[in-house]
Amino acid sequence: MKEERYQYEESPSYVSRREFIAISGIVIAILALPAVWIRSAVVKRNSYIRARLNGLYKDDAGSKVRVSHGNSGVAKLYKDFAGHPLSEVSEELFHTQSYVNRTRI
Amino acid sequence: MSKNQSWILKHPWSVRSFHYLLVLSFIPLAITGVVLFFKPFDQLTMNLYMRIHVVTGVILTLDAVAYFIIGFTRVIAFVKRSFSFSVNDIKWFSILGGYPQKFLLGKKVPVPPMGKYNSGQKLFGICVLIGGTILIATGWGLWGFPHILPHGMTALFGTLHLVFGWILILFLLVHVFLGIYMFDDFKAMFLHGKIPYEEAKEMAPLWVETEIVKIER
Ligand code: HEM
Repeated sequence: MKEERYQYEESPSYVSRREFIAISGIVIAILALPAVWIRSAVVKRNSYIRARLNGLYKDDAGSKVRVSHGNSGVAKLYKDFAGHPLSEVSEELFHTQSYVNRTRI
Repeated sequence: MSKNQSWILKHPWSVRSFHYLLVLSFIPLAITGVVLFFKPFDQLTMNLYMRIHVVTGVILTLDAVAYFIIGFTRVIAFVKRSFSFSVNDIKWFSILGGYPQKFLLGKKVPVPPMGKYNSGQKLFGICVLIGGTILIATGWGLWGFPHILPHGMTALFGTLHLVFGWILILFLLVHVFLGIYMFDDFKAMFLHGKIPYEEAKEMAPLWVETEIVKIER
């Protein structure tokens, strides 16, 4: 279709210079404020995670037994009963059976 | 329509191509969104709907961002028009633009003078501006980084996405119906961008009076 065949159009001065600056300022501020807010919330959340991580490392550093294979209870269990990790008995007792669909829980 | 009909350019090609992409992306988004809400199919089919929803969501985002940048002056004009109110808007809403009277009773009632958009279109414009932005932002949050968002924010995003999704879908039903019914506007938006001068003078007298200029050639 021939778009050129029209005699009237919108005046470009419908939005004055002043209004243009004011409205674009408001629009950009409204877009930017939530972005800044979400960013700071994410950073704050990450600081919680980092603090918790540090706490766990600190607990570990202070414990006598830090790893499961250093745990005398676990060692005794394998020695006296389950044989070794991934043995048939441990497979049956300690491993979950299959994937469970939890979407409806 | 006479041969020497005068025309006003209402929707230049930039607006039309933006609107085309909007139709192509938002309608599949609306349909898949409703399906995702009611979950009528098995897991695999729902998965497919989710993928279509995401792909069309990305297209919608690209469309919106591109238009925001390329058509920034038009976006600002659209914001100004959508947020300009007067007592005429109250009068318009009190009779709902005369549409129910026309469709249900077959009566023509006097309608207060409107600008480029009538009060209902302005309300739709505000819903699209605010709701559309929120839908896009929350959609990206829910799809891309739910695990990064702080505790509770993903749930908030989900609620906002749901509420504004429904608002826009319901409003869209009205928009599409009237968009096809007002056939001169339909042709302007989907074909050539032009509206007959006389028609615009009747439907949007304030627009023609205050914003329209004759082109000097
Ligand atoms: C088949 C579907 C659709 C049809 C038939 C349709 C029809 C129209 C028509 C005829 C206009 C021009 C109205 C006028 O000249 O006053 C218009 C404008 C508009 N439509 Fe649609 N539309 C459809 C889908 C959509 C969708 C999905 C959206 C977004 C969610 C949308 C958003 C808009 C907006 C924001 C405008 C104003 C544009 C401007 O004037 O700058 N439309 N539509």
